Amino acid sequence: MQQDDIQHFLKRYFQTNECDIVEDDDGYMTVQLSIELDKELMNRPFYWHYIERTGGVPAPMKLVLITKQNEKTSALNGERLHFGSPRLHQIFQSAQRHGSYIRLYEQTDASVQSSIPLHPWLGLNVKISYQCDRKKDQLLSLGLHLITGTIVKQFHEKLQYLSLIPKIPDYCFTISPIIKPVSGISRLQQYIKQLIERDNHTWAEEAIARWKEDIALLDHFYEEIDEKPECYYIEKEALEEQYKPKITVSVINGGLFYLQPRS
Amino acid sequence: MMVEIEFDSSWTNEFLERIEKDGPWASWEMYQLALEAAAHLAVPDFNGLQAPKHLPHLTPLPHQLEVAKQVVEKMNGKAILADEVGLGKTIEAGLILKEYMIRGLVKKVLILVPASLVSQWAMELNEKFFIPAVPQKKSYVWEQCDVVVSSIDTAKRSPHRDIIYEQQYDMVIIDEAHKLKNNKTKNYEFVQNLKKKFCLLLTATPIQNRMEEIFHLVSLLKPGHLGNATYFSETYGKGRSLQTDEHLKALVNKVMIRNRRVDTGIEWSKRHVETIIIEFSREERELYDTVQSLKSEEAILNSPFSLITMLREACSSREALFLTTKNMMDKYGEEIPVYFQELIEKINAVTTNSKAEKALELIRRINDKVIIFTEYRATQLYLQWFLQQNGISSVPFRGGFKRGKKDWMKELFKHRAQVLIATEAGGEGINLQFCHHVINYDLPWNPMRLEQRIGRVHRLGQTNDVYIYNFAVKDTVEEHILKLLYEKIRLFERVVGELDDILTKMNVNNFEDYLQDIFFRSRNEREMKIKMENLTTMIEFADQLARSDQYAAR
Repeated sequence: MQQDDIQHFLKRYFQTNECDIVEDDDGYMTVQLSIELDKELMNRPFYWHYIERTGGVPAPMKLVLITKQNEKTSALNGERLHFGSPRLHQIFQSAQRHGSYIRLYEQTDASVQSSIPLHPWLGLNVKISYQCDRKKDQLLSLGLHLITGTIVKQFHEKLQYLSLIPKIPDYCFTISPIIKPVSGISRLQQYIKQLIERDNHTWAEEAIARWKEDIALLDHFYEEIDEKPECYYIEKEALEEQYKPKITVSVINGGLFYLQPRS
Repeated sequence: MMVEIEFDSSWTNEFLERIEKDGPWASWEMYQLALEAAAHLAVPDFNGLQAPKHLPHLTPLPHQLEVAKQVVEKMNGKAILADEVGLGKTIEAGLILKEYMIRGLVKKVLILVPASLVSQWAMELNEKFFIPAVPQKKSYVWEQCDVVVSSIDTAKRSPHRDIIYEQQYDMVIIDEAHKLKNNKTKNYEFVQNLKKKFCLLLTATPIQNRMEEIFHLVSLLKPGHLGNATYFSETYGKGRSLQTDEHLKALVNKVMIRNRRVDTGIEWSKRHVETIIIEFSREERELYDTVQSLKSEEAILNSPFSLITMLREACSSREALFLTTKNMMDKYGEEIPVYFQELIEKINAVTTNSKAEKALELIRRINDKVIIFTEYRATQLYLQWFLQQNGISSVPFRGGFKRGKKDWMKELFKHRAQVLIATEAGGEGINLQFCHHVINYDLPWNPMRLEQRIGRVHRLGQTNDVYIYNFAVKDTVEEHILKLLYEKIRLFERVVGELDDILTKMNVNNFEDYLQDIFFRSRNEREMKIKMENLTTMIEFADQLARSDQYAAR
């Protein structure tokens, strides 16, 4: 993530949270936090408790966020953000917390004469983590047509081209799903499972080989002792935790999308 | 190949609930931001390092990055980090820990370090690596904090021990791990019974004399890697040949990384060493000779080393000598031997300190930050007073200071005072690179301590040339130690760390005792000189051995 990307990300995050961006310059920005965002980010529960109990005038904080080192920003008193900084990660987490579930409708140019049916889709963005003593993640975006059961890949990317709004547009109606969301989710899970199974898993084979090698060493170390001491079992457990290959699939976010049918 | 697949259902449950309640739903923009954040945080590859991307303000040296990469990719996260002193093992450990945390493989971490380094470690991890490490102060910390720094002595004691054993640590880091070379100790047993999924052992002195010690250390990390105890002693114990040693070396190198200064290719700043020989004033000389003459007194003969101590103190300051003399006198109660009377008179007769005056002259000439090392508290106090009388600001520094006080004194020195007067190297971990003049006001009789002193300023990050001034009083034990030992073995020109190898090769347990023995037992100067010569020859021999080892390791 480049420093420009960070500033762009921050700007969108604060705007969508209805915070005033007081200043937005090359390399830094000043944001007036809303009350909600102050509570979310600034970690001062006692202050807010006090204001609420005494009925005082709330004064949410103003943040100066610096993303680039230049002549102007070096004189500024603010927080310097970069990809690894705790503040940015806190904002990432906040975005993930508040951006997990969605329902949107496609904006159409329907009129009284020709009302348009909107078809229900279940969209999921998932993270597949391949884990042993090493780790790799893969992101996957899938859409499931809740009428026909068609599955579309790169679903999120396709949504980018549409105009989506939170309220059902005028003169449109939604078609009730035939596939319920809960079974839609398990269909997608099944689909993901098949995708994974077809994959090449040498990484896991290699991890198991490393695991076995270490178990053999461990057994050799204690081979002359008939009654194995506790640390033998502790060590064995540790090896399992260290090497055992595992794949976890977690949902980043997802929701229902009502879209116009396309040929 | 079937791998277990686990679906995280937490999202599903809440999603269904929200459908039920018709919301609340995220905005489209927030939804996109959430996905972008996830994409930024995803780890794209099993290999390579993610940590540097997260730490743009930190510029690790090439060998440090290489170590981190090797530990993650080749050693499966279990390694002995054994770089020579001053090459940044803490940075390497921090990089590795950060890497595993970013990858989500490590969450709960236990870091065991010497008590004096606990807060330093916690501070460095927080400031340099954004790892929220917490020094263990209250017992609830074990359970409530993910990354805990503690001393091993605290950790192994009840009730901590049991609480620690209940935690599921993903990574255990142990600094100064060479202290775990003996498998019969409580510390060893404590660490052995810890669950170590990923584990880093940090030590600067892994190569000990005894083969078993390296065996025990490696077995802690990876039991069986060097075979079991019987196998090991049969193969490497008796009549070990170079062949088997080569094999052992290769095996050990699979779990241990050792960078040497010479291999890192880092340009070190130069070190200039100057010996300054000081002439006693007449009174000081008389005092010294009086102490020397005590050699024949019976009481002194019973504790020969106190005579050597007194001689050394006489070279440092009359204050230091007075303190020791007084302590000795106190032991006699009423019947104080007569020679003490004479000694006290001689001490009182001394009105100036030739060394201190030389130091003052030098400090004025340097006109920059200076560290003065002395062996004696009394001298330290005297010097502080003396410099103040002459309009030079100074701050004291002792190994026994609490961490906070050490940091405070360091700050004072950096910003307010010209001189720091230290009685010890201040132990591990205090960096004084902003200063590059060191006066050895008197010399320790242990070369390692001398090396530590130099290491405080001549280390990574020192951009200036370093100037070392060694004081010695003419025709005293001091001059002998300096001329016959330290200069002979070119101690001051050696890089920090080299000596360590040499001394371990020599198997001298207590260097200081050995030296004192030479000085006290020699009947005349000639005998003493011969003995010193023998000692330096031994050191040279060990040096050659160490060198040929280095050659073999390539």
